[in-house]
Amino acid sequence: MTDQTMNAEEVQASNGLSYWQLVRRRFVRNRYGMVGLIAAMIVIIMAVFAGFIAPYGVETKDRTAIYQPPQGIHIIAPDGGLTRPYVMGWGEEMDPVTYEITFAPDPELRRDLSLFVEGTEWTFLGLTFDTHLFGTADGTPFHLLGTDSLGRDVFSRMVWGTRVTLLMGVLVTAAALVIGTAVGVASGYFGGTFDLIVQRIVEFVKSFPDLPLYLALVAVLPRRAEPMTIFIMFAAILVLLRWADLSRELRGKVISIRTMDYVRAAEAVGAKDSRILTRHIVPNTSSHMIVWATYQLPEVILLESFLSFLGVGVQAPMVSWGTMLNQVRDFQSFAAAPWLMAPVGMIVISVLAFNAFGDGMRDAMDPYSND
Amino acid sequence: MTDTLLDIKDVAVTFKTVTGTVKAVRGVSYDIKRGETLAVVGESGSGKSVTARAIMSMLADNARLDPASKITFDGQDLTALPEVEMQKIRGNKISMIFQEPLTSLNPIYKVGDQVAEIILTHRNVSKKEARKEVLQLFKEVQLPSPEMRLNQYPHEMSGGQRQRVMIAMALANKPDLLIADEPTTALDVTVQAEILSLLKQLQDTHGMAVILITHDLTVVEKTSDRVVVMRYGEIVERGNTAEVFANPQHPYTRHLLASEPKGRPEPLPESAGPLMQANDMRVVFEIKTGGMFTRKTHELVAVNDITAMIRKGETLGIVGESGSGKTTLGMAMIGLGAAHARGEVLFEGQRIDNLTRSQMRPLRTKIQVVYQDPFSSLNPRMIVRQILEEGLIVNGIGSSAKEREELVREALHEVQMDADAMTRFPHEFSGGQRQRIAIARALILKPEFILLDEPTSALDLSIQAQIIDLLRDLRVRHDLSYMFISHDLKVVKALCHNVIVMQNGRMVEAGPTLDVLENPQTEYTQRLVDAAFNVVAA
Repeated sequence: MTDQTMNAEEVQASNGLSYWQLVRRRFVRNRYGMVGLIAAMIVIIMAVFAGFIAPYGVETKDRTAIYQPPQGIHIIAPDGGLTRPYVMGWGEEMDPVTYEITFAPDPELRRDLSLFVEGTEWTFLGLTFDTHLFGTADGTPFHLLGTDSLGRDVFSRMVWGTRVTLLMGVLVTAAALVIGTAVGVASGYFGGTFDLIVQRIVEFVKSFPDLPLYLALVAVLPRRAEPMTIFIMFAAILVLLRWADLSRELRGKVISIRTMDYVRAAEAVGAKDSRILTRHIVPNTSSHMIVWATYQLPEVILLESFLSFLGVGVQAPMVSWGTMLNQVRDFQSFAAAPWLMAPVGMIVISVLAFNAFGDGMRDAMDPYSND
Repeated sequence: MTDTLLDIKDVAVTFKTVTGTVKAVRGVSYDIKRGETLAVVGESGSGKSVTARAIMSMLADNARLDPASKITFDGQDLTALPEVEMQKIRGNKISMIFQEPLTSLNPIYKVGDQVAEIILTHRNVSKKEARKEVLQLFKEVQLPSPEMRLNQYPHEMSGGQRQRVMIAMALANKPDLLIADEPTTALDVTVQAEILSLLKQLQDTHGMAVILITHDLTVVEKTSDRVVVMRYGEIVERGNTAEVFANPQHPYTRHLLASEPKGRPEPLPESAGPLMQANDMRVVFEIKTGGMFTRKTHELVAVNDITAMIRKGETLGIVGESGSGKTTLGMAMIGLGAAHARGEVLFEGQRIDNLTRSQMRPLRTKIQVVYQDPFSSLNPRMIVRQILEEGLIVNGIGSSAKEREELVREALHEVQMDADAMTRFPHEFSGGQRQRIAIARALILKPEFILLDEPTSALDLSIQAQIIDLLRDLRVRHDLSYMFISHDLKVVKALCHNVIVMQNGRMVEAGPTLDVLENPQTEYTQRLVDAAFNVVAA
């Protein structure tokens, strides 16, 4: 058969390459996956170095600029010709009839931007810094994506929100991964009554309608507790309903791996269950786990944003993309300040990025791909 | 119209892979006349199947046919034909039989309809007529009770019957050329012989040309007019079958011809005492059928009261068709099989059949096993050193990593592999090399008894012989005893002192190998012998 022929050819061609080297080569060739990886890396860097990238802190309020629209970055001087990037300041005007405050860009107020400026303090690993990636050269306020009802910088809050949203995603995915793997592998390997009981529990968990359940569970969370406590409990609720899929998938995989000759050969040399599980079975399910995790992370991001938008997820003063969107839940604020929707862009970008990365990983790890 | 039906010239196929392009076929030319049988021989990876697929223009997506290749069929240049025209030729003038009859039939359609579909797509006949033709075809390929078969699904048939359906499908439109790509490799030995005779017979009645792709030289010798030997994507030798077999020119052909398993095991000393003994082994599987309320339990007796004894230094062969219970018996004896085994097993006079897994553990170093498929018996995520070391670690042999490494090196040397194999992954090795690693894994524990479960059947013929030589060598050097499970009597003859022939879980014959082979008492054994040594005897 051709398959066999090609395998033999591949053996000759791929001498000296380990499995992961092969995966990397296949992945690098996949353009969509690579774009996903790069975008995902940017999102992660944003979360880690939020203090450096965001020009302001989460709660830094600019009382002179309430509901101020975004300030675009210009690189062409008013009189033509390229210049260093600058933004235009806003002139405030009050409508004499409606008393509505409107902003209009004022070409007179030119504010040059520069890199590595000093600003509000932020801490990282216990060290305090005050350097930011960019800002106005003279330290005057500047709001790339405008401000909200309290004059807080939307761009800065969005960058800080990446941290909470991503942390939630990573925490939930990691915990669900550990629980799902432990349950699924044990259930598939030991089989029998244990498997029967565990799988009925999995079915029970999977049969719950998730959304009403989330709402009900979140409703029992103590309102007065610390935001961090609520964050952890919220994460725990998500984990509770997320591990079941993985454990079901891994169970099937383990059942097929369990009958492989290399597992029986390990048994034949006298290896104990614990060794067979950790050395033979779990490593051979790793590609499945990695792909599952890269698909799961964006799902959790979406779910967190959605529940926080409804006001039942992450609680203020913690900032996540979802809580930021919570501010525009009525039509008036949406009409007045559409720039508050900016986190939607981040959600879309990060979900697409992680999905693209997951797709690329899936293709690269496919043992049946010929190329 | 000339006498030549198919003429391929300078066919070259390259595969694009992550690690660069691989030239699978490099300038292969051969031709075939009407009514002739051409055998294409070579080991796996030699490009013989890829060439056949190029003729059918059924190459994989990442394969590219070199533009200089010329494929002329019946005066028509196939490489220039658009896909639509090619579809008219495929299954109509040229048909193909694949190796795996399990996967080449669609499981959700009745076989009768599947064969009729081929007729209906290529010819303008009514459904009723097509059905009549299918019935005729089924009779021709000698399917038992053909009327009943029409409405059966593939899973209701045996492997041999499915391959017959595949042949019927290939013959449906009276093709001029039939390409048979290892048509019997996946089948039982005895069925193999039947299928080959059938092919030969059908070729005579229909006057087809047949390209027979195979790695089995016995098949080539018995069935083909001319032969082409391929290696690394090139033809190394061609000629009339009789001439090539009588007087091979190329060293590779000579190597292939010399690779039939030969020799006999060293005689067994009279004084050898029993090492492993199994008394009245019986393994029963319970099969549940019926619905929830009509649940019935059938008992399938996989091993039916078999008594076997292996003396120190002896090699005992267990022979039979697939499904005869030979592997089940072997695994039950060494305590790695199903829990339903009953009977008494003695190892060095100690009863081992009633031991638990942890009680069995101290004995594991003495009793080892080598599995059939070296592609699934080595963990793909471990390097060779880890694979060999595992037995040492779990049994506490060797105090330091350095000491263990020395033992690994020794074991690799025993199976004639370089020590630098240690840091490499199994997928970097060929099938034969992998089987050597699997043998080294058993050997490193210094066992006294090794169960060999068809260790050569997944390998190419020329490598089989090397492994047999190695096993015979190791047996003498380490005073090992083997239990050798196989369906190939040729290999059994070269390796085993005594043999047990099994059918449907029963022992039908037992005794010294030569006695059984030369003077078979039952018709079943006779058939196995014929299949191994004569191929197309019937």
